[in-house]
Amino acid sequence: MTTEKNDNNEITEDQVTVADEFQAVAQRSLWADAYERLARNKAAMLGLFISGIIMIAALFGPYIKPYDDLEINLFNIAQNPNGDHWLGTDLLGRDVLSRMLMGARTAVFVAVLVSFISNVLGVVLGAMAAYFGKIVDDIIMRVADITFAFPDLLLAAFISSSARRPVIDFADKVREATGWEVLENTVFIDYTMVFGALAIVSWAGVARLIRGQVLSLREQDFIRAEVALGATGWRIIRKHLIPNSIAPVIVSISAGFGGVMLLESSLSFLGLGIQPPGASWGNMVSSNMDKWRAYPLLVAIPGVVLAVAVFGFNFLGDGINDAINPRQIKR
Amino acid sequence: MLQYSTRRLIMLLPILFFVLLITFTLGFYGPGDPLTTFFGDDAFMADDPELINRLRRLHGLDRPFWVQFGDYITGYFKGDLGNSIIEKRPVLDMIKAGAPISAQLGLAATIVLVFTGIPLGVLCAVKQNTWVDYWIISFSISLRSIPVFVLAPLLLIILVLKLGVLKKTPIGWEGIFSQKVIIPVLLMAAGPMLGIVRMARSGVLEVIGQNYVRTARAKGMGERMVISKHIVKNSMTPVMTTLGLTMSGLITGALFVELIFGIPGVAGLGIWAFKRRDYPVILATTAMGSFLIIVANLLVDLGYGLLDPRVRYE
Repeated sequence: MTTEKNDNNEITEDQVTVADEFQAVAQRSLWADAYERLARNKAAMLGLFISGIIMIAALFGPYIKPYDDLEINLFNIAQNPNGDHWLGTDLLGRDVLSRMLMGARTAVFVAVLVSFISNVLGVVLGAMAAYFGKIVDDIIMRVADITFAFPDLLLAAFISSSARRPVIDFADKVREATGWEVLENTVFIDYTMVFGALAIVSWAGVARLIRGQVLSLREQDFIRAEVALGATGWRIIRKHLIPNSIAPVIVSISAGFGGVMLLESSLSFLGLGIQPPGASWGNMVSSNMDKWRAYPLLVAIPGVVLAVAVFGFNFLGDGINDAINPRQIKR
Repeated sequence: MLQYSTRRLIMLLPILFFVLLITFTLGFYGPGDPLTTFFGDDAFMADDPELINRLRRLHGLDRPFWVQFGDYITGYFKGDLGNSIIEKRPVLDMIKAGAPISAQLGLAATIVLVFTGIPLGVLCAVKQNTWVDYWIISFSISLRSIPVFVLAPLLLIILVLKLGVLKKTPIGWEGIFSQKVIIPVLLMAAGPMLGIVRMARSGVLEVIGQNYVRTARAKGMGERMVISKHIVKNSMTPVMTTLGLTMSGLITGALFVELIFGIPGVAGLGIWAFKRRDYPVILATTAMGSFLIIVANLLVDLGYGLLDPRVRYE
């Protein structure tokens, strides 16, 4: 609101200089301030560094991986890290580094898409609940309550284990009708299941947040002033509600990102997420879990990388939260 | 207060109903109907449609969805949770066997949470924006970031293989007072710790600037007394609100801990049911988890009024 102009006709010279001084300060936008606070936060910068590496691994993984991550070589199983295989090989002789890179792709891909889907769903439904009120509000919020009543991992596990078969059948029918060969790929279906299950579990939090935000904004004086001045509903949504709700959405995306990653790996660990041979850090841990005594590295490498990645994204999310809501830290 | 409580209790019923409806629907349309799961590898029996149809009629599986759902929900109210397909015994018995174990683990983890999380949160607030604060918060964030299924093997690798502190893997259940319980309980407490520390911290920060705290200091009260008598006591209500989230976190923790350490509790039962597609058990354990979360949230709402007389229920 600092950038709003003061349309006063009678300004004395004295006031002009004061106004100019204010202008000089006001030039720094909310975002510049937030960015500066973020850059000063060492933990968040560490988080940014880690997340950056993970992102690069996810983006370029398939092009820089030294071996085919699915190629089985039974003459070369369970190697310790060496010159040829920097992180060793697993019990099927697959190169661990290549699988880790593909796992990064899975983790980031799932987290990005699920954050996107659940935030779009949450923002739209939350805003609808607040805007229309009455029965729409009741229905959306009761559905959110029900979603919250489930332990999130159990619900996601349940959805992905139950809906898998029907979705595969449906995909088969679509494929027969349209001839889309993508749908024959079960890994593709795995991903769809995981996206769906995780988005269903995580939209409710965003919806609640946005609903609260819009409800409290609606009562603010500057919105009332706009209404009194005869602004249309669309103008209020575009000029005030959306800009003022962006910050909490960014916070919820960044804070939820690590959590989604954790959920995906947990599902895959339980064998209900990405199915082998697709690479996910979660199923890499679980498939070697019972051999931790003999091959500790095969458990430790995906485990530590997963933990460091989630840790990095959580630190970054926390830093972004502090940067955008400075009042919270000052308290 | 009484009126509010009754209204809250009545509002629970539709939520419980929908929770049961959703779990039942997921089970109903999920892969593998009970009969195919029952036969398992004996596929030659499943090939006989006559036999299958007779069994279907016998177990009432040919009836419409809503009739079966009605049966299922009335069964739940009578305490009949159905029979496990794999183990072929009442689900209720299985839950009765596992629940005390999970409850003891959960209670132990809660005690650990309360007695470490709250003091750490208070310490953070008292030393706000110093390295103590930063390190405690960072440490809690890392505990939350490392999944139990990673922390568990890492701890085992470090303690058993590297340091040799433990002679053998602490697997199984020998009562809550055996040493085997220590690692599982600490692992369960690790995830929800951040929530408690944050809430305790912000609760204390809220109170620390109040006038009565200044008054207490002004009249010469020692800092230690000010913190324990005035600050901590008055800042604990927000910590209560995390109970619902804590419950959810403890359940997730228990799922992994019981699976990894072979503890025969309810959460492990649920996970095994998922792995073997034993739907009656999945339904019962999921419903139970939801029930616990709903009750925890109800307790939070009701407890708020008891702890803080300023809260008014409309």
